[in-house]
Amino acid sequence: MAAITATARKASAPGVLTRPAARKLLALALVAAILVPLATARWASGSWPEALTVDASGPLAGASDWIIDNRDSHPLFLYFFGHVSNLVVVTVRAVYLALLAVGWAGVTALAGLVAWRVAGIRLALGTAVAFLACGLLGMWVPTMQTLALMVVAVTASVVVGALLGLAAGLSDRMDRVLRPVLDTMQVLPAFAYLLPVVLIFGIGVPAAVLATVVYAAPPMARLTALGLRGADKEVLEAVESLGTTARQRLLTARIPLARRELLLGLNQTIMMALSMAVIASVIGAGGLGDRVYQALASVDVGAALAAGIPIVLLAVVLDRVTGAAGANLGQAPRPRTHWLYVVVGAAVVAAAGRLTARLEWPDGWVVSLVEPVNRAVGWMTDHLYSGVPVIGGTADWAARFTTWVLDPIRDGLQWLPWWSVLLVVATLAWLIGTWRTALTAVLAMAAIGVLGVWNPSLDTLSQVLAAVAVTLVVGFATGIAAARSDRVDRLLRPVLDVFQTMPQFVYLIPVVALFGVGRAPAVAAAVVYALPAVVRITAQGLRQVDPAALESARSLGATSAQQLRQVQLPLARPALLLAVNQGVVLVLAVVIIGGMVGGGALGYDVVFGLAQGDLATGLVAGAAIVCLGLMLDRVTQPTERRAKKGA
Amino acid sequence: MSTTADTADHTPVFSVDGLWKVFGPKADRIPGDPELAALGPAELRARTGCTAAVRDVGFDVRKGEVFVVMGLSGSGKSTLVRCLTRLIEPTAGTIAIDGEDVRAMDKARLRALRRHRAAMVFQHFGLLPHRTVLDNVAYGLQIQGVGKNERRERAAEVVAKVGLAGLEQRRPAQLSGGQRQRVGLARALVVDPEVLLFDEPFSALDPLIRRDMQEEVVRLHREEGRTMVFITHDLGEALKLGDRIALMRDGRVVQLGTPEEIVGSPADDYVRAFVRDVPREQVMTVRTAMRPAASAEEAGSGPAVRPDATVSEAIEAVARAGGPARVLDGGRCLGVVDSEALLDVVAGVTAGGRAAGGAPGSKSPGEAPAGLRVPAALATTGEEPV
Repeated sequence: MAAITATARKASAPGVLTRPAARKLLALALVAAILVPLATARWASGSWPEALTVDASGPLAGASDWIIDNRDSHPLFLYFFGHVSNLVVVTVRAVYLALLAVGWAGVTALAGLVAWRVAGIRLALGTAVAFLACGLLGMWVPTMQTLALMVVAVTASVVVGALLGLAAGLSDRMDRVLRPVLDTMQVLPAFAYLLPVVLIFGIGVPAAVLATVVYAAPPMARLTALGLRGADKEVLEAVESLGTTARQRLLTARIPLARRELLLGLNQTIMMALSMAVIASVIGAGGLGDRVYQALASVDVGAALAAGIPIVLLAVVLDRVTGAAGANLGQAPRPRTHWLYVVVGAAVVAAAGRLTARLEWPDGWVVSLVEPVNRAVGWMTDHLYSGVPVIGGTADWAARFTTWVLDPIRDGLQWLPWWSVLLVVATLAWLIGTWRTALTAVLAMAAIGVLGVWNPSLDTLSQVLAAVAVTLVVGFATGIAAARSDRVDRLLRPVLDVFQTMPQFVYLIPVVALFGVGRAPAVAAAVVYALPAVVRITAQGLRQVDPAALESARSLGATSAQQLRQVQLPLARPALLLAVNQGVVLVLAVVIIGGMVGGGALGYDVVFGLAQGDLATGLVAGAAIVCLGLMLDRVTQPTERRAKKGA
Repeated sequence: MSTTADTADHTPVFSVDGLWKVFGPKADRIPGDPELAALGPAELRARTGCTAAVRDVGFDVRKGEVFVVMGLSGSGKSTLVRCLTRLIEPTAGTIAIDGEDVRAMDKARLRALRRHRAAMVFQHFGLLPHRTVLDNVAYGLQIQGVGKNERRERAAEVVAKVGLAGLEQRRPAQLSGGQRQRVGLARALVVDPEVLLFDEPFSALDPLIRRDMQEEVVRLHREEGRTMVFITHDLGEALKLGDRIALMRDGRVVQLGTPEEIVGSPADDYVRAFVRDVPREQVMTVRTAMRPAASAEEAGSGPAVRPDATVSEAIEAVARAGGPARVLDGGRCLGVVDSEALLDVVAGVTAGGRAAGGAPGSKSPGEAPAGLRVPAALATTGEEPV
């Protein structure tokens, strides 16, 4: 039956309508033809109509005030949030004091020995050097503060994530409920999580830790569920055939079989926790992130760099050591250092440090970067900012980029009638995805208007669009080059590896040094942050094109340009779409953070709200960020949901 | 292969009757509905959206025999063997192990069945990659709660028995396919099950390794006499290992019999096509070619062969002696075989008044060598269908 009607429709429809894209466009045009005249007749205005906004800031301010007033008296806070808050403060403090008590030598030795046990001698040396470098830069104490926060946040994230993942892995219903939530959480910028926690816990360490947990637990949950669900069916059947109970199956087979995913989840959780722990300096995390934040606020690039380098070192070390633990799984068990040696070794070094009374990093061993870096930045400001013959200066570039690219896009977006923006969103989302994604995208965009932050959101959107355009042009070109030449690939790989592990926040430091503050530097940071993922996904996609298809094209005498255009790019289309999606998500995250270095718009509203204690403004901006993230993700979402984050 | 006759009249280990497994929506209604049950696979799918993997299957597995279920992929044989221990829940029918109803078992009894009475060997081994060979083998004992030292000790014995001594501390990833399947075999053996279930255990192996493993199974069966249910799609393997073979097609058993019966008297054209290229002289026994001794002299002289010797063995004996061979069972002469009768078996033409599979005319040209004498009288008397 179905087949007959389908063919009949196909035969009777005009040629254009046989393409699904054309059918979707026609349907959308019909809807628009009815709704747009109605909308313009009632609310004729370029920007989002006043009549359709709901002022959320009043009630939000009320809620915020109520929470601040009742924080010390309401039972919910007294008996729940209060305990959570105290527990977090006490554990972070305890870990911090323990790290200080072990002393710099003890911590370095412990880290090195753990790395040795897990990942071998080379990474152990690297780890030790990284920790010593933190001390040398005079950042030992902030590093320990960040580390203490990380230890607590990662532990909590792993526990929460693993439990959620276990639930989703074992129960289909939980999986259906959790999956869309986790998927969405993964595309939201870190900044969106800050305000709600601050609302409840106030600015301070508990808020920072909890925001980090909320941000870092999803990858653990997703990968745990993925690992439990992806286990080899025949192994599980064999295990069942031996008469195992469900519990035995879980403990002796399913969890061990998911070890690779669990370790990957741990790795991603640690990296996201570090990223967030640094950003959470805005809400009182302290430590390295706070140093960067303070330094950026006063445009002190030297101080920012001195704190930024330890962040990068920490990120690289944590990533490589946990990554190596996962990579070693499939290989032959080689004789490894026993854990006992690790503990004893670290204890001996710590005791030696204690006996020689050298717990604190000696002041004489600090090499200050601040002066020379600031001198270099000063020189750059004087010589490179502007007036360089022919090419102009970096500040000139930034200014020109702002005037010629960012301003026209922003003004153009804000000039567009509000309904046409919704229409464009609907069209894009429907063409790439399904009507469901289109509906979500339109509703998210409309919610932004209703919240009354239409114009700042379009400002943010204009920065995102500019940054995405640059990222995609550069990223696709580099990706194609890397896919076609092994040498380029080899050269790029270590660079991409390092760039992909660095927390978002760190990218702001060099762009401020080069371009000063403003919207252009925010865009530049976003491009640099998103570029590695786009390059990597593009190159991988092109390289994974079926070699047989490529070979047959070659055998027909296709030139390499023809091969690229007619075989590789079409076949790599899913990868390219994924690259666009990832590019958009990553760019948005940094454009928002760019609010701290003059990017303005939504990111600035969040920072401003936090700084002024005006939580209502911040919360509205945070909600708009969520909506914007949702909309951008859905608009670039290929129909099939990707299995996991490509970055 | 020698145990069949002695134990034929004991209680069957597995007794399966009217077994159905239907996948799809509302599968329960199909076995009970004669109209739906009679539909072919394609029609059934079109009408109900269901697939009947096993249709009304019944057989007994006798103690000590190697019972082979063979069929092409999609014939339902793997589903069938999983139904035996309810790894796949059957839709209808009865399964009994030593007279005990398997389908009525609760979870605990079913676990006990899987732990102690029936162990399975899988096509893709199903080993735990994070455990050593020894711990993989000991896994079944661990599940039962056997202490660490004891289970390792017992596992080590079985590991040695399947020829893996010295590899105890390797991981599955470090072993070859054949070695991995030996681990799978050892894991099933270590719990000392009453019956071993094999699900196409050697299909994923190279031909030479496969032959080694088949011989390993033959050796184990000879030494221990354990009951085995063996699933395969390889006719050669089925004929080599099976005491009895159930041939499946589209979920049904189309013929059940000894290798000799399957090759000698195919039940229908499907089976006939299946066994067409089998070298008959290696499957058929001299019983098929035997005729009563014509005289006391014939019964008293000439080379001797066992009654279960293959025709090819008898041919060798006859060719060496240059005259008929006697079939001796414990010193008693059952009959004689001569070169003509043996040739008839090889050629697949009727001999001794028995049908050895259809009329000569239906044979493919490749099977009956040109110029072979076909006695007209015998050929006509043997035309009754089997």
